[in-house]
Amino acid sequence: MRNNSFKSSRAQEYDFAVALPAVLWQILFLYVPLCFIIYISFIKAIDFFIFKNITLANYKALFNPIYFSIIIRSIFLAFFNALFCLFLGYPVAYFLALRAKRFKNMLLFLLILPFWTNFLVQAYAWFFILDYHGFLNKVLLKIGIISTPLHILNTPWAIYIVMLFCYLPFMVLPIYSSMTKINKYILEASSDLGATNWQTLGYVTLPLSLSGIRTGFFLVLIPSFGEFVIPALLGGGKIMYVGSMISYFFLETKNVFLGSAFTVLSGACLIAIALLIYLVFRKLSKPSGFTGATGPSIKTNNSAKLSQGNK
Amino acid sequence: MELRRRISPYILPFFVSLVYLALYAPIIVLIVFSFNKNPLSFKWHGFTFEWYRELFSSVEIVQALKNSLIVAFSSVFLSITMALFYVFYGTSSFLHRLMLLFYGSLIAPEIVLAVCLLSIFTFFSIPLGITTLIVGHTLIGLAYVVPIIKTRYQEMDYRLIEASMDLGATESQTFYKIVIPILSPAIISAALLVLIVSLDDFLISFFCAGASTLTLPMYIFSEVRSGATPVVNALSTLLLVVSTLLILILTSLKLRTRIF
Repeated sequence: MRNNSFKSSRAQEYDFAVALPAVLWQILFLYVPLCFIIYISFIKAIDFFIFKNITLANYKALFNPIYFSIIIRSIFLAFFNALFCLFLGYPVAYFLALRAKRFKNMLLFLLILPFWTNFLVQAYAWFFILDYHGFLNKVLLKIGIISTPLHILNTPWAIYIVMLFCYLPFMVLPIYSSMTKINKYILEASSDLGATNWQTLGYVTLPLSLSGIRTGFFLVLIPSFGEFVIPALLGGGKIMYVGSMISYFFLETKNVFLGSAFTVLSGACLIAIALLIYLVFRKLSKPSGFTGATGPSIKTNNSAKLSQGNK
Repeated sequence: MELRRRISPYILPFFVSLVYLALYAPIIVLIVFSFNKNPLSFKWHGFTFEWYRELFSSVEIVQALKNSLIVAFSSVFLSITMALFYVFYGTSSFLHRLMLLFYGSLIAPEIVLAVCLLSIFTFFSIPLGITTLIVGHTLIGLAYVVPIIKTRYQEMDYRLIEASMDLGATESQTFYKIVIPILSPAIISAALLVLIVSLDDFLISFFCAGASTLTLPMYIFSEVRSGATPVVNALSTLLLVVSTLLILILTSLKLRTRIF
């Protein structure tokens, strides 16, 4: 794009040298360590990069139902957290993007805020709500839904509830931004042609916001797989997830070899799951049946032309 | 049927307000209870500032605050500087094609980054402490800063740079006198983002700080784990207020930066 052919080779060397640190930083502290972790997951003792004692012993040690159940539990947590976030977040995004008029900017700001505030503090704040003497129990007792206070803290319930609300903005914001890009004329056309609100939602809005759903799903899925803070604080630390297991290996038993093997294994599982979900989304976004006949992209173009023509 | 038609427009707003209630109720309760006289009860016992006073008289917390600030400002400085040099000077070599490298630390779960950093530090027996924290936070910071600055640099009118060079400015003069002032809104917003991310980061600090160094989120975590004290409520409130203020600055400056 930018022509630098006028530069002397000396100047080009200088440019290269000052532009390099940022790239080097990433390589040195992210990609090299990543390879390093994979390498030490295959050895038993560090012998300064001599590849002779490569072994699968660490992985054999991990071949244990305990570790598998931890990984499966984390996959469950990540997947269902993303799913619940979608169910709860989609109506919110829909309201913000297409229905809200007054307070819209304020509501949007209130959603961006938790995105950037301290995760730890947000998780901690839930203690006041979920405690045995906390507000949820008080309210439920007063309404009369329950007769004795619920034990929510230190159970998987607490983890799922807190994860849901901590990760909700990660789901709502991408969906919101994909919905704001939908051409309003398409929605009008849909209702003019006799579709009910629900039909418009199902046949027009939902397919056109699929890219936002996909982004949001991964934004929730991937970090919740490795979530450490919320299970550690609100789960009482008794129920192990991938995050807690990794930190146990590295910080408490200091068994870096087994820990690396576990990290690599769970990382591979995460990639596999993410790939699977990606394929599902790709299948969904392919036009088929009714939506195929009136393909969304064609619609957008036509309606854009139409709106220009009207002006 | 009539009733259904009458209430149906209110269902969605009602649902949305319930979600917002669930998002904000815990935080509001936390803030209110940080002023509660009897900290260990879930009843209101009267208003007090005592926990805030205790906050600033605790040596441990003040030290943690200092550590947090040192780490945050160093990583802001480092990531902004490196990103600027990368964006401006990187165009003349293949380096500008390596943009994707910077997204890696955003995509991977944070615990993987933390473990990676820890393993490399222990392998080279680098003592854990402030320096390793700065390294980790700068790694995350770059992932936020480079895309922001790069986008704005590409949107910038390139003729200004050409004009500057034609009029006899050297490349570094152009960099300092033309590019940096024009990019300053992007630089400010990127710096604020890194500041927020670094001040709030827990996981990387938890792994890379070692036994002796404590940052504010780490202090909160260890206190909550061993049974919360009222000081933690005050400290959490303070952290919330600081990030809210930073976000307010960020949005009110109209810096045109997408912060989500």
